[in-house]
Amino acid sequence: MALEEYRRDMEGCSRCSSCKWVPVSQIKSHRFSQACPSISRYNFHGFAGSGKLMLGLSLLDKRIEMNDSVADLVYKCTLCGACDANCKVYRDDIDIVEVIEEIRAACVENGQFFAEHQMMIDDLKRENNVFGERKEARGDWARGLGLKDANSQKVEVLFHAGCRFSYDEDLLDVIRGAATLILDAGVELGIAGKAESCCGGRAFGMGFRGQAKNFAEDMAGRVKSSGAQVLLTPCADCYGAFQYAYQRMGVDLGVRVMHISEFLGGLAAEGRLLFKNRVDRKITYHDPCHLGRRSEPYSGPWKGNKLLRHSSCKRDGRKGVYDAPREILRSIPGIQLVEMERIREWSWCCGAGGGVWEADEELSEFSARERIEEALASGADALATSCPWCERNLRDAAESMGARMEIFDVTELVTRSVEGE
Amino acid sequence: MTKPISSKNLPDEAVSRFKEALGAGNFSTDPVFCDSYAMQPFHKTDPGCWIPRPMAVALPGSTEDVQAVVKICIQYGLRYKAHSTGWGAHGGPGYDNVVQIDLRRMNNIVEWDEKNRYVVVEPYVNCAELQAEAMKRGYNIHIHGAGSVCSPLANATSHCGMGWTGISTSTSSRNILGVEWVLPSGEVLKLGTCGSSGRWFSADGPGPGLRGIMRGWAGADGGLGVFTKMSMKLFHWAGPKETRVGGRLLDLEVEKPDNFRIAVCAFPEAKAYADALLKIGEAEIGFLQCKNPVSLLFSGGMPRLLRKIHAMPNTKKLLDAFRYQFQFMIAATSELDYQYQNQCLNKIVDDHGGILLDTPAALNSITYWSFVRVSVPPVIFRMGGNFFSAFGGDEALDNCMEQARIGEEIKRQFIARNACFDDLADGAWSLIYENGLFGHNEELYAFDHRDPEMGRQLDDFAKACTQATVEHNLGGGGFAFFKGGEVHDLLGPSMSNYHIWQRRIKKALDPDDLSDSKYYISSD
Repeated sequence: MALEEYRRDMEGCSRCSSCKWVPVSQIKSHRFSQACPSISRYNFHGFAGSGKLMLGLSLLDKRIEMNDSVADLVYKCTLCGACDANCKVYRDDIDIVEVIEEIRAACVENGQFFAEHQMMIDDLKRENNVFGERKEARGDWARGLGLKDANSQKVEVLFHAGCRFSYDEDLLDVIRGAATLILDAGVELGIAGKAESCCGGRAFGMGFRGQAKNFAEDMAGRVKSSGAQVLLTPCADCYGAFQYAYQRMGVDLGVRVMHISEFLGGLAAEGRLLFKNRVDRKITYHDPCHLGRRSEPYSGPWKGNKLLRHSSCKRDGRKGVYDAPREILRSIPGIQLVEMERIREWSWCCGAGGGVWEADEELSEFSARERIEEALASGADALATSCPWCERNLRDAAESMGARMEIFDVTELVTRSVEGE
Repeated sequence: MTKPISSKNLPDEAVSRFKEALGAGNFSTDPVFCDSYAMQPFHKTDPGCWIPRPMAVALPGSTEDVQAVVKICIQYGLRYKAHSTGWGAHGGPGYDNVVQIDLRRMNNIVEWDEKNRYVVVEPYVNCAELQAEAMKRGYNIHIHGAGSVCSPLANATSHCGMGWTGISTSTSSRNILGVEWVLPSGEVLKLGTCGSSGRWFSADGPGPGLRGIMRGWAGADGGLGVFTKMSMKLFHWAGPKETRVGGRLLDLEVEKPDNFRIAVCAFPEAKAYADALLKIGEAEIGFLQCKNPVSLLFSGGMPRLLRKIHAMPNTKKLLDAFRYQFQFMIAATSELDYQYQNQCLNKIVDDHGGILLDTPAALNSITYWSFVRVSVPPVIFRMGGNFFSAFGGDEALDNCMEQARIGEEIKRQFIARNACFDDLADGAWSLIYENGLFGHNEELYAFDHRDPEMGRQLDDFAKACTQATVEHNLGGGGFAFFKGGEVHDLLGPSMSNYHIWQRRIKKALDPDDLSDSKYYISSD
């Protein structure tokens, strides 16, 4: 859908600023009430969800021209969807995230985007990953684990590691441990190895629709040829892309998509995963945006007046994955789960998404540091999450802050409980 | 299609001075940045959603910054307009070539004085944040009717501020215990005790007590300088210091404390409703009393169904039976207090032929926390995408009842010609405050400003209500004041010629009319 298709969404903004705060019913303090990293850092209204609706309308009405400033407003945004979820507490007829995505697509069409984004796209084209690492090395993380080669054999479950887990050496133990857990539970797991490529979610979020669709179709073909019933990923970013962006692009994977937290929860419920050892930590859980509010399936464009749209067709963030990782944490003996103030669909973003990690280090770090401060205020001594991008960004922030806050992937804690610390 | 805007260029020297004062990242003349301050469809009576685009946006971070901005504006003859959370056309520029002062960087809770029961806040603190912090200390605040996403400072210093708990917390203007005010001259004035001792417990002295000049009844909506700090009252909070809350609005999960009672009081006709309210006021009971019309409550959860109400005559009749109802909440401080308030309420409702419906347990979560946090107001957008509010003068309750009756008559005409949505013509949002000393009534009007015909007819509705205010002596102009000078000139003669005094105040404080007075009154 083009930006013009969202005219009513943009014109409908009442400028109440609900997009800037977590839902008022959930505000627990003055310190942690803000919802949007972008407006919190840069302050001009244009950085808020509401401001971006106005930006889009202003472009349509030709009140402003497409230029660097437009790109500045629309790309200094983690595309975390907090504005959208908070707006929809009250509104049925405004899809802020979709508007932002359409503005970005228009930016790309007009050549208005950051150089860093072009570099990422070039890397994607050349090496099939967002880091520009060698594509031949993509499956190296799994060396020696005995995973099936999904390129040559039919598999029950196709495991998609994602770019971050495939190449971030600091997270190597995490991804290997996660795969081992599943193998040990007797699941027939396969990977595409060096044939695996980026899900395309980041390209979609940045507005590079053509590139994103290429990767999505490639992914769909790989899934089909693997014969898998389940596409399993440990990466929230990829999960969100499969659940939402692919449907926006009209690409049907034809299989059940699961995040590893859901999958491990299922194994635990079946008694195939036993949490035998204590992990004595006071832990808070950070909801990744793309596992939570941004992973809600897209049910297609609403034809007609969105005021008449049924609530089941409204993506308001509630249908994201929030309980599965928490249930795992609660099941591990020794873990005391304490919640931060901003959780679930009103969670604060880690700052790694929407092209911000690639192009706006300042905003990315600002957002991550804010989350670490919130985690510290919760009284936790460790933070668990379910996304390698969040883990990377939060680890870096905690380290630069000198904060005494260990950062874990939920699967790491499972591994420790199953195998012992 | 809207024509491109050609805005007057600021002198380079002025731009340099603004950036020097605020930091380059806190000032912008970029049309792309400025245009995000030019859309304000709420409480804008002419069609469309755009208002004049500011020529620049300034983001001061302190009172000194605000002073600097105002002084630069004076030096270069620039109009300016400040807003806090900035909801509504009255928060934006009324004219071309205005410098928009966005106060969002001034976001501190400056001081808690629990002994003297006040808190000092900057402009961008919102009511929900402040209430959350107050409750931790055992206190509550007055939250105005626009809801807790808005700034209490902006509302109390510059606008109308009735709220759901008005029966026990009065209205915003009566909650001010002092202000720090950057006058249109650029000087800082501190009112009341703050002006004499630095303590903020009284706005009326010893020290300069200019509360009437500062805001009068309706507030100057940014037409008399900039307010940078405010002290406001703290009230006892009978609920827990921490509340576990699940969900957001319709899915809320909250435990209602046992010392709270939430009920709907419904009466067969208007007189019984009003008489009962006056008795409730006399009895000095109640934490919250508010008549949210049935249509508003309905539209929060089932807006699509309400839009089909014209095709459901029996349902419409059923809902209409609740035309004279209000929501009431008791927050008792002891078991005896609870018993007393309950017995009073039961007797008063019974004496006036009413019925008292306690909220079903299943609805306790949403009613309790939504009402306490005043988190519902933006829901009214759910029905049509926009709404307008007419009347709104604070008067004796009988006068308010007349406002409601006439408002319904007028609105029926607009419903009949599809200029607004059918809300059973029961749009009267009303309440009493200060134990019935005052009443308040607004005629809510749900429409879709994206519908050109609806947008066009809104102004007719606003004018009809203003005209009725004059013809029927319905008192203070309320939301008609958004139209600025022309409405003051219309209403002033029937109200002691207040408009003449208002102009004198404006002329004395802002002779060059630089503090944007579109929504206040000009000096000439």
